[in-house]
Amino acid sequence: MKAPVRTTLFWIIAVAALAAFGIFFWGSGRGKEEKYRIIFIPKVIDEDNDFWKLLIEGVEMAAAENDMDLVIVAPETEDDYKEQNAMIEWAIAQKPSAILLTPASFTETTPYAREIVENGIPLILVDSEIDEDIADTVITTDNVKLGEVEGEYMKKYATEESQIAIIGHVEGSSTAIEREKGVRKGLGEFEDRIVDVVFCDSDYDKAYRLMMDLMEEYPGIDLVAGLNEYSAVGAARAIKEKGRQDIRVVGIDSSLEEIQFLEEGIFEIIVIQNPFKMGYLGVEAAIKVLNGEKVERRIDSGCELISNDSVYTEENQKLLFPFREE
Amino acid sequence: MSGKKNRFTVLSLFKSVKTTMLCLFSLLIVLTMAIFLLISVGYTKKTVLENSTDYTSRLVRQVNRDIDSYIDYMENISSMIIQGGDVQKYLFMKMSKEEMEEVYGRIVTQFNTVVETRQDISNIAVVAPERYYIINGGADDLNENVSLQEVEWFEAALEGDGSILTASHVQHVIRNNYKWVVTLSKGIENPQTGENGGVFFIDLNYKLLKDLCENNSLATNSYVFIVDEEGKIIYHPKQQLLYNGLKEEKISEVLECASDSYFIAEEKGEGEGKLYTVSVSEKTGWRVVGVADISELMKNKEETESIYVLTAAALLGIAMVLAMFFATAITRPIKELKDSMKEVEKGNFENTDVIIRSDSEIDSLGNSFNLMTAKIRQLMEQNIHEQEEKRKSEMKALRSQINPHFLYNTLDSIIWMAEGGKNKEVVRMTSALAKLLRQSISNDNERIPLEKEVDYAGSYLTIQKMRYKDKLEYEIEVAEDIKKEEIINLILQPLVENAIYHGIKYKGSKGLIRIVGYGEGGCIILKVIDNGIGMDEEALKSIFDKSRDSEGNNGVGVHNVQTRIRLYYGADYGLHFESALGEGTTVTIVIPRNFREEERE
Repeated sequence: MKAPVRTTLFWIIAVAALAAFGIFFWGSGRGKEEKYRIIFIPKVIDEDNDFWKLLIEGVEMAAAENDMDLVIVAPETEDDYKEQNAMIEWAIAQKPSAILLTPASFTETTPYAREIVENGIPLILVDSEIDEDIADTVITTDNVKLGEVEGEYMKKYATEESQIAIIGHVEGSSTAIEREKGVRKGLGEFEDRIVDVVFCDSDYDKAYRLMMDLMEEYPGIDLVAGLNEYSAVGAARAIKEKGRQDIRVVGIDSSLEEIQFLEEGIFEIIVIQNPFKMGYLGVEAAIKVLNGEKVERRIDSGCELISNDSVYTEENQKLLFPFREE
Repeated sequence: MSGKKNRFTVLSLFKSVKTTMLCLFSLLIVLTMAIFLLISVGYTKKTVLENSTDYTSRLVRQVNRDIDSYIDYMENISSMIIQGGDVQKYLFMKMSKEEMEEVYGRIVTQFNTVVETRQDISNIAVVAPERYYIINGGADDLNENVSLQEVEWFEAALEGDGSILTASHVQHVIRNNYKWVVTLSKGIENPQTGENGGVFFIDLNYKLLKDLCENNSLATNSYVFIVDEEGKIIYHPKQQLLYNGLKEEKISEVLECASDSYFIAEEKGEGEGKLYTVSVSEKTGWRVVGVADISELMKNKEETESIYVLTAAALLGIAMVLAMFFATAITRPIKELKDSMKEVEKGNFENTDVIIRSDSEIDSLGNSFNLMTAKIRQLMEQNIHEQEEKRKSEMKALRSQINPHFLYNTLDSIIWMAEGGKNKEVVRMTSALAKLLRQSISNDNERIPLEKEVDYAGSYLTIQKMRYKDKLEYEIEVAEDIKKEEIINLILQPLVENAIYHGIKYKGSKGLIRIVGYGEGGCIILKVIDNGIGMDEEALKSIFDKSRDSEGNNGVGVHNVQTRIRLYYGADYGLHFESALGEGTTVTIVIPRNFREEERE
């Protein structure tokens, strides 16, 4: 009886070994997950504004690179937080894998952002913030730093008699608040030379009119800080028109017009963010969250000071001019 | 002995040779398979990698050639335009206004044609610093904020002879342009001074470069990019990501790499790394780099490998089955031989022959075994026969004969009785003697029914009773059921004789001899009981001695009976004496019932 038992045992082992063999080689190629669906809600979709255009391009490129479905919706204007909030509600109803959001308002967007989080959808804030720390991660330029670079530059030329104006974009938006804070910080002891802070609501014409008014009201104005592309360009247009070579304007963000003003010397410097990188990193962060990886709470996409004689250095042209194949 | 037994051999691994063989076969097969797999997989990997690198480097060389001819073509365009004469004329010659407009018109038409027909050209321009310029259709202007002296490629073209190629850069020389382009520029000689006085340039966008790089896709996830001698990017499918620091490319490794060769860049956690194949253009100095995922290239390898593995697994299975079969086939004769030997060991020589199938060692072993057992069987049979013969002759020799003294005495008695006119007695005694003699002589058969043996003893007792007259009385009580049992003959009479001559004869008074027979269990018990003088312990002890002689006896009566019973029935059976001095003797014969000679051990 002993021999059959042994033989059976031998066969069991042989078959098991073969099975293990097979499983090892067939089991390796399995498990493809479903495509991630992401909704991106920027403040605005504006083909004429390089910042938004690049931010969206960054998101699109990252989505394409990672083979994701992407839907982008945005209000008509940058300050229309009501419209944006409605879009957030719509987006939640779509049950996407994650939502990327550039909140239009620091305070008014918050309840809707919370709703996203409460629905268990990962929330990634891009560029702007809200007054509650509920997002999975926030990818922004360090906006205080951005303003600070402007402020520090102006400080070099500021005197006791200087009249400094700040032209902001949207009152109450996190970026405007932080950048203004940065400018004040950068100015240091000359902070009290700030004669006015105005808001153009991200409108070139309004910025232009505001600058005209400022020049009228404060004839001795010599330093102007624009807090975003709209405000900086609007101000530069007004200054160029008035031929006020004595006013030093510093701006944030870049556009062709801004670069040309920089080449012409209307702008002393501009401080640029990297919206493309911001958008790209936003999607990457979303993927990490979805894959259960650890994500830093805050990601700084960096900023760069460009002066009018460094526009075409190899590094700067890469940052200033988005590479497009056409 | 034990030292020899305990020495390690392969065969001592397992209990049976078959298991040992099976395990060793399997080990051998698995080992062979594993080595085969390792070698073939390693070889496949090498070959596949070689093929892939070969293939990619050919592709990359092809891309390189395509780009060279593309640049060639652009240079031809520039040479054609420069040598056409109009450009020089326009830039450097003094002309009338009409003439100038005519030349200008011709150049603009030419430029327009080029820009309109070639989608891959962003700008085409001639520029003489501080003098004139024509850009594209004439509608574009130089960027007044840019100093041409500070534009590297422009200066290089102005000072050099050949055409200058830039890496990817933003075209900022032209107002409101700012496109990313690759610029091909060439100095224009001022015929008056003999030196370059102007620059002709063409801005190439990425349409064609992209096509050239993408048409030759190696595999999915692979791409081609171009860098110049300094590692600046000409074209990269992910140029925007590189520029934003979101992706990195192995530029320095590419620059270190020789032309038409490759290197493998390991990547953390991403398969087997990437294969970079570099081809350097002699014309432009550009490096065309093909990048492919090795795991992608190795797809074939995986397929081949899995085929190898499956084949190996299948072969392994078949080999195992065959090994099983062979081991069984080879060891079957051994097993049979072993089983037969076990039987022989037990002493069973019947049907132990091993089946012989071939001339192998094991079969010749079996053959020898068969011969050996046959010989042993023969010898044993012979032995048995001889023993039987011997026993029979012994038995014959031991058979008691009619004592001549008894015969003489009986005849003497008959004479006396005849003389005394006792006719009746004479007849009785004579007939008893005749019966006795007939039985003694005629009985060739060793075995006779019990009743005949009892009769024989009865005849003998009849004669003796008549001789001893009132001195002897006898009784015979034999149970009916054993009367037909066959027993060996001539065992009762010697005992009766012994009882008369040693018991009754010396007794003063009348003696009684009783013959009692009955069955008990599987045995027949026969008793000869006398009430003679009996025996003391010593006499009882020496009762079976051969030397014990008796008057008128052949001298070996009791001893012979005992020996014959034991020879015939075995040592378990025989005679038993009980005696007491002055009281008599009882001899008990114990023999088996229904005894057959074959049962004898």
